[in-house]
Amino acid sequence: MQGVLGAFREVDSAVDAIEDLKKERFGDITVFTPTPRHEFEHVLAHGPSKVRIFTLIFGLAGVTFGYWIAVWISDYWPIVVGGKAIAAWVPFTIFGFEVMVLIGGLATVFAMFAFSGIPRLTMTVGYDARFSGSQFGVWVVTDPDRADDAMTVLRKHGAEEVRRER
Amino acid sequence: MAASATPLPEGQGLPEVQRPNIPSAAVRFPAIRTYDQVDREIAATLGPSLGWFGALGTAILCMLIGATAWTYQIHEGLGAAGYQPPVMWGVYIVTFVFWIGIGHAGTLISAILYLFRAGFRTSIYRASEAMTVFAVMTAGLFPILHLGRPWKFFWLIPYPNWRLVWPNPKSPLVWDVFAILTYLTISSTFLYIGLIPDIAILRDREKNPIRKAILSTLSLGWRNSDREWRHFTRAYLFLAAFATPLVLSVHSVVSFDFAMALVPGWHATIFPPYFVAGAIFSGLGMVFTIAIPLRKAFKLEHYITLNDLDAAAKLCLFTSSVVGLAYLTEFQVAWMSGNRYEQDYFWNRVFGQWAWAAWIMLICNMVLPLSLWSQKLRRNPSWLFILSLFINLGMWFERFVIVVPSLSHEFEPWQWGTYRPTWVDYSILLGSFGWFFMWFLLFVRQLPVMAMAEIKEVILPPMKTRYDFSHDLTQGAIDPDETGVAH
Repeated sequence: MQGVLGAFREVDSAVDAIEDLKKERFGDITVFTPTPRHEFEHVLAHGPSKVRIFTLIFGLAGVTFGYWIAVWISDYWPIVVGGKAIAAWVPFTIFGFEVMVLIGGLATVFAMFAFSGIPRLTMTVGYDARFSGSQFGVWVVTDPDRADDAMTVLRKHGAEEVRRER
Repeated sequence: MAASATPLPEGQGLPEVQRPNIPSAAVRFPAIRTYDQVDREIAATLGPSLGWFGALGTAILCMLIGATAWTYQIHEGLGAAGYQPPVMWGVYIVTFVFWIGIGHAGTLISAILYLFRAGFRTSIYRASEAMTVFAVMTAGLFPILHLGRPWKFFWLIPYPNWRLVWPNPKSPLVWDVFAILTYLTISSTFLYIGLIPDIAILRDREKNPIRKAILSTLSLGWRNSDREWRHFTRAYLFLAAFATPLVLSVHSVVSFDFAMALVPGWHATIFPPYFVAGAIFSGLGMVFTIAIPLRKAFKLEHYITLNDLDAAAKLCLFTSSVVGLAYLTEFQVAWMSGNRYEQDYFWNRVFGQWAWAAWIMLICNMVLPLSLWSQKLRRNPSWLFILSLFINLGMWFERFVIVVPSLSHEFEPWQWGTYRPTWVDYSILLGSFGWFFMWFLLFVRQLPVMAMAEIKEVILPPMKTRYDFSHDLTQGAIDPDETGVAH
């Protein structure tokens, strides 16, 4: 992968640069930001995260498993306790709920990892330690013949540093 | 982690600066001006100091005292702990419920207040989350300590085994296992997920190659990209949404340990909300106990502002009122029940053999928190710290008053008895505090005690034209005493 990286001190400078890059039809743009900001969400216009689908599916799987394990155990060793039915759904709701939260919560985290591409063994190109601190990075994947155009746009909007990386 | 900061207004993006005691979405921390300042000041809290070593040594000593007592108990049998019929639950179950309760405020602050967008959570939620995890770890020890053969504790977990024996899923003790293990797992996950961006900050600042390698591993290669943040904020929101009912469920399930029994004083439908409110109240007490010394020791008064303490104190006052109402409702229910055993028990609670414990509970949990109606006291960290110690004491005694008097004063006079904790009980109680504070002290010196990335999210971002706060400071629009900025 090769491209151009620009480091910005200000949010609005980085946002303006991204808008111009999009006008110039640079499609593959990544922003590095010390903290999430709506300005970048709006300008990049990515769709909503798909993490929610995993939360729903595994939450439903969890509640089903929670009820099932309690019913199966009761049915396997049927003892009447406190006058309750062998498969007593009211107390078993506790199992359904707890396992739903457990499985659904963990699935949410693993989905987040998968979609974000972490754990990552090495820092990929385009990252700079400044971007966890106080600066904003704009990484544009581009062919070498268009790299100069991208660098011009980044510099025009006040990038503190612009460099090619591969 | 807040989902995202509010965008600045159009134009130059300069919101109107307000006084610190009138926080707004745009200006939450007037004395924090740059992202670099956040990194520098919070990273400065890491690294050991003489006072920290002293505190850690004391905590480890307390833990070792508890461990020694437990070893003695395993050798001698559970009778060494002072249990004798009819009181077969005592300090261990009291302390178990106490620590579970402490663990509630962390998730309340990090999850519930997050969903409600309560701004004051930002500076205290990391310490509260860590407190939650360590408190639940501490609580989880007590059911094991209470077993005569603690190495058999895993029998409570349903797994296929050669004995073909399964736990009884209608038993509240099995519900406890599911609820607490789920709570511990989700709370730990919530804490760790929130820490990832901050660990990445430390990784990028670190010079020592060994520490850098450890931090790189823990940060999972986090790069702060828009893609990572997009999925991160969504996952954080869903975890918060899961954790919110989980908080309410866990102490409800713990209350079922009592409410499912027919013992006078326990068999009450009010127990779940009563326990949940009490848990949040006690957890807030412990948040003050921890956050106020942290604020002072690390010079973070401009992060944990008086506004934040004020808001948390109002929540504490509210939960104290709910708990107080529950206490009074219990008496009213007993009075109106026509049940002689119930009435006798509650009379015995406040005027009988355990009156001293009940009055400690009532004074610490109902009377002293009334002081928080005063704004002056809500904004006085010294008073909040002292009050928090009384709340911790009162909430431990609340559980004592629930557990011991009921068992010692059941239906028939021939069943009545008393309970005297032995040195083993007291040592293990002390050891639990040592265990808890040992983990907490290790945490505060290794990982950021405040959420750096989230604080950056709520301060003004760097723009082409930045607002000059120094003008407000010199003109007196912002009181330096409130912000923590030097004159």
